[in-house]
Amino acid sequence: MNVRRIAFALLLAVVTAAAAIVMRPGASYARQDRDALFASSSSDHLAGTDAMGRDRLVRVSAALLLCLAGAAAAAALSTLAAAGIGAFGAMGPKSFGWLTLLACDAFLALPWMFLLMMVRSAIPLTTSPTASAAITFLVLAALGWPACARAVYRGTKELQKSEWMLYATANGLRRTQMLRILVPNLLPLLLPQFLISVPAFIVAEANLGALGLGIGEPLPSWGGMLLELNNSATLLQTNWIYLPVALLTVVLLLLEAITVEGS
Amino acid sequence: MRRFLSICQWILRAVCVIALVMIGTTLLVRFAPGYLSDAREMDARYAGEAKVELSTLAMQSRSPSQMVRAEIQTWFHGDGGISRQYGVPVLELIGPRLAVSGSLLLRALGWSWLFAIAGALLSSSRRRPSFLWQVPFTLLLVIPTAALATVCLIAGIGGPVLVMVLCLAARDFKFLHSTLRSAWLDGHVLHARSQGLTGGRILIGHILPNLVPRLGALASLSIVTALSALVPVEVIFNVPGLGQLAWNAAVNRDLPVLLAATMIMAVAVTFAGMTRLQTTNWNNA
Amino acid sequence: MRDRSHILACCALVAGFAAPVVCTAQAAQRLPGELAWTVGYDPKTFDPAKVDDEESELVRYLTAGVLLRFNRSTQQIDPSLAESWTLSPDGKALTLKLRSGLRFSDGSPLTAKDAAWSIRRVLDANTKAPVAEEFLDASAVTVQTPDEKTIVVHLAKRVVGIEKVFDEIAIEPANRPSEARVTAGPFFLGDYRRLQYIRLKRNPYYQGSKDGLPHASGIRLDVLENQEQMIRLFLRSEYDFIDNLPPDYFELLKHKAPNTVRDIGPSLNTEQMWFNQAPASPLPDWEKSWFRSQAFRVAVSQAIHREDLARIAYLGHATPAFSFVSPANKTWFDHNLSVPHMDPSEIKAILARAGFHLEAGTLKDAQGHPVRFSILTNTGNAARAKMATLIQQDLAALGMQVTVVTLDFPALIERLMHSQDYEACLLGLENVDPDPNAMMNVWLSSSPNHQWSPSEKTPATPWEAEIDRAMDLQATSNKLAERVQAVDRVQQIVVDQQPFIYLVYPNALVAVSPQLLGVQPVVQEPRTFWNVENLSVQGAR
Repeated sequence: MNVRRIAFALLLAVVTAAAAIVMRPGASYARQDRDALFASSSSDHLAGTDAMGRDRLVRVSAALLLCLAGAAAAAALSTLAAAGIGAFGAMGPKSFGWLTLLACDAFLALPWMFLLMMVRSAIPLTTSPTASAAITFLVLAALGWPACARAVYRGTKELQKSEWMLYATANGLRRTQMLRILVPNLLPLLLPQFLISVPAFIVAEANLGALGLGIGEPLPSWGGMLLELNNSATLLQTNWIYLPVALLTVVLLLLEAITVEGS
Repeated sequence: MRRFLSICQWILRAVCVIALVMIGTTLLVRFAPGYLSDAREMDARYAGEAKVELSTLAMQSRSPSQMVRAEIQTWFHGDGGISRQYGVPVLELIGPRLAVSGSLLLRALGWSWLFAIAGALLSSSRRRPSFLWQVPFTLLLVIPTAALATVCLIAGIGGPVLVMVLCLAARDFKFLHSTLRSAWLDGHVLHARSQGLTGGRILIGHILPNLVPRLGALASLSIVTALSALVPVEVIFNVPGLGQLAWNAAVNRDLPVLLAATMIMAVAVTFAGMTRLQTTNWNNA
Repeated sequence: MRDRSHILACCALVAGFAAPVVCTAQAAQRLPGELAWTVGYDPKTFDPAKVDDEESELVRYLTAGVLLRFNRSTQQIDPSLAESWTLSPDGKALTLKLRSGLRFSDGSPLTAKDAAWSIRRVLDANTKAPVAEEFLDASAVTVQTPDEKTIVVHLAKRVVGIEKVFDEIAIEPANRPSEARVTAGPFFLGDYRRLQYIRLKRNPYYQGSKDGLPHASGIRLDVLENQEQMIRLFLRSEYDFIDNLPPDYFELLKHKAPNTVRDIGPSLNTEQMWFNQAPASPLPDWEKSWFRSQAFRVAVSQAIHREDLARIAYLGHATPAFSFVSPANKTWFDHNLSVPHMDPSEIKAILARAGFHLEAGTLKDAQGHPVRFSILTNTGNAARAKMATLIQQDLAALGMQVTVVTLDFPALIERLMHSQDYEACLLGLENVDPDPNAMMNVWLSSSPNHQWSPSEKTPATPWEAEIDRAMDLQATSNKLAERVQAVDRVQQIVVDQQPFIYLVYPNALVAVSPQLLGVQPVVQEPRTFWNVENLSVQGAR
């Protein structure tokens, strides 16, 4: 069996296990066992409980399903947007390329946290945590493309000078046809960008909680769990606090094995 | 002549970006919630004075175009305006901090590239993907910058440079590993290997020359990532740099300081886009 | 390839170990005998007359020579630069007598002329001194100096607790305001580096150099907001104390250095939640009707498990609260407050009588609107965020759907003070003065800080009118018993009507270095350095 298939099977197993844990009868990510705070593992709570007495395993599993889906979707969207904008900018007329780079640079420099505050004040305060999470990931997707778009632009420009591209142009291939040949050559740039964006968006979602966006309580936020590592007081409480980090590392390695590595 | 033209183009683009950023920042900050409010309003001892200051600010910021013009004029006056938070000229605040942040960034970028290139060269040349290299770099990607900084702080290991190096190296490694891996799997390279060429000769003769032009694109990504990692690192390690100043300015809605910080960011980002290594471009077989 | 990969690996290792360790905060070297601790941000001003933020007030406290000092330990007024004072029976004339032999930090003599000038400067409208408002009608106040050691202040109106106001008026050299560089207090400003530190030097002439006070050679205040850095440097003895410890860091320090932490007991501060009852708010009418309903507010209050809030959010370092007066406030706390305690069936009965009913686990009002609202709080306060989550669960048991939203402070203030666009809010109140007169701005219905319904033209309800009357009475009466009775009445109304749902009194948590001598932490701020002139570092005296 090749690496890709094994990785895919493992990832599927992880997601299925998480779903099974969350959907188990009696499992709840919100229920607070207020007499068992930071409890160590037991038959009731396999990975112990958090600071509010909530089952850590159920919360991590729910966070995996929610945040991975959201972050992966957002990362895919922003990477696609970056690919499209960067490639079109490079393949189009010179002025178009110039404007593309201008837009990317301006986008990168602007303080978007203020736009996020405006988004927060535009949506009702009683927006459900799930809707708030969806909005957050959409916003991240909309803001996450410029850095990669620049890299794609530059990469495309370099590829345009390669012999096979010159050969294709000389043979009369249209730009849209050349894009189809170009994209696989941009994958070494796009796939790592996608993989880097997933954990970046997960953490960014938690940071957006400071602006009123992000995943609201009682829904579990993977980024919020990662940010618990910021607090040395919490680090002392239990070793289960490293579970989200470990799990995300495994998931990313599996994703990388599926997307980047050949057979 | 061509070089002169490209420099002019770069300057024009930088000026356009700065102009866009000035207008964009002014509008974003002005219309974001909290610009015309002050925490002192909640304290009866200080509420009176706060209200007077806020009404003056409201008068001055009634029209966005008037605000933008006023901010541009302050730069022509040479002081960059007066900080809302500190009450001193912005340039007085920015000057010493530019050197601190600049030094931190340059060192972090240099070391992270060294780390990432070394790791990517070693990991990509193997026949099968090496988890020995993938695991630590993936772990570094997963841990938030702020958490990494906190852990280093508590453990008393390293400082802001180490944290930034680790964060940047993790990202740079992923790109470099992917690029190098696809280069090792190129048809002509496989052919060269099958003909018995040593790995070193292939690396120096075929891989690196094709990699170098692409480094420009990766460099711009790296600089942008470094600029965003600067804020949490400087805040946690209490480094008196631009990142810390920009963060305080954002929290306190200090528009003059924010404008200065975003303009510097715009220049840095535009400069990052200029990085292009002049090397011989080898054709693929 | 093996050779080259070996070399490359070595380069990477060398690069890794050689990654330079850069200095962190550029803190100044600590001088012998110098006290050191942190402040959260740079003071906005060093001019003691213009203080309008906490850190500027801190610097004023450390440097200003004042005529009278409010003793944070006994909660009584002590003589300071003035050796005695008398207040006339009508409360409109305050006569102060200066001590002999007083000097400023530059050696120049301090006389009644300097004191009068300083008071007049504060009262002058051009100075815009925040403390002038405490005189009620500053323009009508006159100051006379019949002799070199006597100052007489004539007030237009009687001011309750006027002596305490002089705790905030720094005496400076006449016609030479120096922004804390020439002071009559224990220290004066020596050096200041923005965003780095403030250094104060010992005033050798402080109170005639009595008893060698102050004992410390100086003070270094580092500008540092990051808690982790603060804890680490405290453990390395770079700082002598931490004045306000969050509960989780208290437990951390208790684990690492148990002999440094102290839980002094309930502070004067409160944490509370309130509903938006402002008529001008953009909320739908049916939501406003919920929040204006006493039954609704009482039901919410009774459903909240305050013991859990204290135990979980504050790790046991808080006390359940029902009133705005903390038990630490010995003079004003009402021990006879009648607080209801209802079980879940009684709570449901109140809601039912108010027209609410449960439908498929969701509470709905008489018109069928599901009871759904948000609780706003500020970011950066872990305890408050936890309390909001706990309250969310407590109210879910009643069928209410609560969303918790954290905003940064400016955005939160805008909603509270300007747009009124919020449903419920959870915040804390820092009570710097135990006298309830200092809370007039909160309880008077016409005040902009009357949070649940600011700036009412007339009291919206009979009970708010009664609060107005009681607070006016306590502000004008010169009999303590009468004042206490009025404040007791306000406390009872608050318990009955729940305009503020008081949650906990957070405990005063401090960390003190074992090397620090003379420290006697108290609940009122500044907790650890209220007697700064008596503090010293072991081995330095």
